[in-house]
Amino acid sequence: MTKRQGRLFFIICTLISATVFIGLTFDSHRRFPGLTNEDKLTPEIIRGKDVWHNNNCINCHTLLGEGGYYAPDLTKITQQRGTPYLTAFLKDPSQFYSEEKHRRLMPNPKLSDAEISEVIAFLDWVGHIDNQGWPPRPIIVSGTTIPGTDVGQPPTHASVSTDPVAQGEALFRSSPPACNACHSIASGVNLAGPTLAGLATRAAAIIASPEYKGEAKTPVDYIRESITHPSAYLVPGATYSANNQSFMPDNFAADLEPQQIDSLVAYLETLK
Amino acid sequence: MRYRSQSIAYWYFAVAMCLFGLQLVFGLLSATKYLGPDPLLNFLPFDKTKAIHTNLLIVWVLTGFMGATYYMVPEESRSEIYSVKLAYIQLVAWTLMGVTTVVGYMFGWTAGNKMLEQPFPLKIVIVIVMLMFLYNILMTIKRAGRWTVTEGVLVAGLAFAAILYLPALIEYENYTVSIFYRWWTIHLWVEGVWEMIQGGLLAYLLIRLSGADREVMEKWLYVIVGLVFMAGILGTAHHYYWVGVPHYWLPIGVFFSALEPVALLGMAMYAYFAMRRAGFSHPNSLAVHWTIGSTVFTVFGAGLLGFAHTWPSVNKWTHGTLITAMHGHGAFYGAYAMTVLAMISYILPHLTSDRKVEGNSIGYWAFWMQVMGMFGMTLSFGTAGIGQVYLERILGLGYLDTQLKLQVHFLMLIATASVFATGAALFIWNFFRTAPRSVAAIDSSTSAPDLAPAGHANSAASG
Ligand code: HEM
Ligand SMILES: [Fe+2]
Repeated sequence: MTKRQGRLFFIICTLISATVFIGLTFDSHRRFPGLTNEDKLTPEIIRGKDVWHNNNCINCHTLLGEGGYYAPDLTKITQQRGTPYLTAFLKDPSQFYSEEKHRRLMPNPKLSDAEISEVIAFLDWVGHIDNQGWPPRPIIVSGTTIPGTDVGQPPTHASVSTDPVAQGEALFRSSPPACNACHSIASGVNLAGPTLAGLATRAAAIIASPEYKGEAKTPVDYIRESITHPSAYLVPGATYSANNQSFMPDNFAADLEPQQIDSLVAYLETLK
Repeated sequence: MRYRSQSIAYWYFAVAMCLFGLQLVFGLLSATKYLGPDPLLNFLPFDKTKAIHTNLLIVWVLTGFMGATYYMVPEESRSEIYSVKLAYIQLVAWTLMGVTTVVGYMFGWTAGNKMLEQPFPLKIVIVIVMLMFLYNILMTIKRAGRWTVTEGVLVAGLAFAAILYLPALIEYENYTVSIFYRWWTIHLWVEGVWEMIQGGLLAYLLIRLSGADREVMEKWLYVIVGLVFMAGILGTAHHYYWVGVPHYWLPIGVFFSALEPVALLGMAMYAYFAMRRAGFSHPNSLAVHWTIGSTVFTVFGAGLLGFAHTWPSVNKWTHGTLITAMHGHGAFYGAYAMTVLAMISYILPHLTSDRKVEGNSIGYWAFWMQVMGMFGMTLSFGTAGIGQVYLERILGLGYLDTQLKLQVHFLMLIATASVFATGAALFIWNFFRTAPRSVAAIDSSTSAPDLAPAGHANSAASG
């Protein structure tokens, strides 16, 4: 081989790769609007992206897996935590986590109310980008999904059974957002929401107590009510609710089929 | 040294050394935050120390590249630099930009886009400085009326690097699109045009250190850079898998990013065969250590550790974990930090007085402590990353709880990072130990002998 042939090799390799790369870039631009729901990209969301950038969030967190690796991935966070929770958290993270426990704490970003709702809207938009289903399993912030988890198995695989309890258990791990992102079923393991271990037994005590103002008469009713109207009864704890509003998302009544709620209740009722 | 204007390089290297030291201060500070709790939480939290750490890295390596270019181009083109004054103005502007960036980050002035955090006005300064630099170099070559392939590859790499920075100047409303173009800068730098720069510097070093035949070296340089671009350009796909792009980027990433290590292996073989054929007789064996060391560490840190997580089937689990930090450290250090340190080690005896060409024992301690320290750091990040993937991604333990279980790896990280930092401190101390030669003393008759092995007349001998 001569030097001229070497140069030719270099030029041809570079030209071919660059041409293909630029061609694919054009094609990707054609597809971005669909993949990223660009029609839903409101000015509020774009301002939320600026909040994300201005506060350098990416140098601790990761989003779509890119960032600082020092704090949790936030790609699907709005599917795990409702807006009231995220709002309260962003107002003062130290209410929710402590350096004593986790040796790490998020500094207070000192955002205005508007900025908080903008950045949440932005994160919600990111969470709906079609990104080949990443992450393959939910990445959770704290606590554990290990007790009662099918290790390495995508949550939906368990739902083939026709048994309502089995279906309920599958839903518990998949209904958007997955219940187990915030609730464990191990006793004493409180995540963003209280543990559901012993729920059926506890429910009876709650409806009998004077603090209870809801409509449920039986434990089963209470469980159903907790899913469809999370604020009907507030489990004590500053990290669970504020201003008489529970941090649990309230989309389940609308987003789940009545029969799905039935199976969830059937499953949760077994947690005695 | 034959050309007075080559002494510009000294000041670029001096700035690079200071910023290198500062980079490590912020690196160590970041590492202690992994252990926590963090007493500086409200003044200098992790996001700031990390951004400063990575930005200083990029700035000092580029400073080193520019210094090396100012040294190399006069020799290759056999001419003084076009404007020495412009070179110094450029250095001052560049340094001020760097310092402003760092101080700005401390006070929250940031564009908050990973590794491209420089606020817009500073990005403009960067572009202007790069233009000054390229203008000065190109005018030098034009005036001299001659250029070599080695220098051409180097300068073309630098010019492409400047061009690829331009997408970073644009604001994108769609986050996915913003990520898409962020990698045009970052990936196409480190796995494209910076490798081109590395190739140019490596060819220069090998020709000087081994006296290998220039024709042969430059022929293979073309081939290596061709391989780099063949794999590296489409290899960008390995950053696109999970960010909202069409599916076809996955198979493209599988194929082309897996080819990338071939070019890096090619570079190591290039260095090995050049040295073996022509002999290790150059007296500056410290520079030989750094040169060969850098190609070997590139194969390890970039080639092997990059390959380890470049396929989607693996990357879907490791993406966004400390596995990436493992690879980022090994790759950047091996390929770019070590290349600059090799250039400095080779050039320094020419630029400073009272220095033995063959280096001193501090120089070897600096080399081995850095190499071993960085090896230990990649192991620490790597083992932490494997633990993280398993506990957090596969078993489903919470992020924060997983990090708590990795404390022992963070201790290991700090221990090995301290070894590394000691090695770096020795290098920096060794750099500043002797004064630069005064320009008056620089005359072809008194300058340190540019010792090419016997029998190889120096192709760039003056005149
Ligand atoms: C000198 C060459 C290289 C350098 C300096 C380098 C540097 C880096 C850095 C700093 C990152 C982290 C980026 C971030 O955190 O956002 C990264 C990511 C990555 N690199 Fe490299 N790299 C090099 C070569 C390679 C090669 C040859 C391969 C594959 C064979 C590779 C595969 C990857 C992959 C797959 C990621 C993404 C990890 C993820 O986010 O999931 N790299 N590289
Ligand atoms: Fe890459």
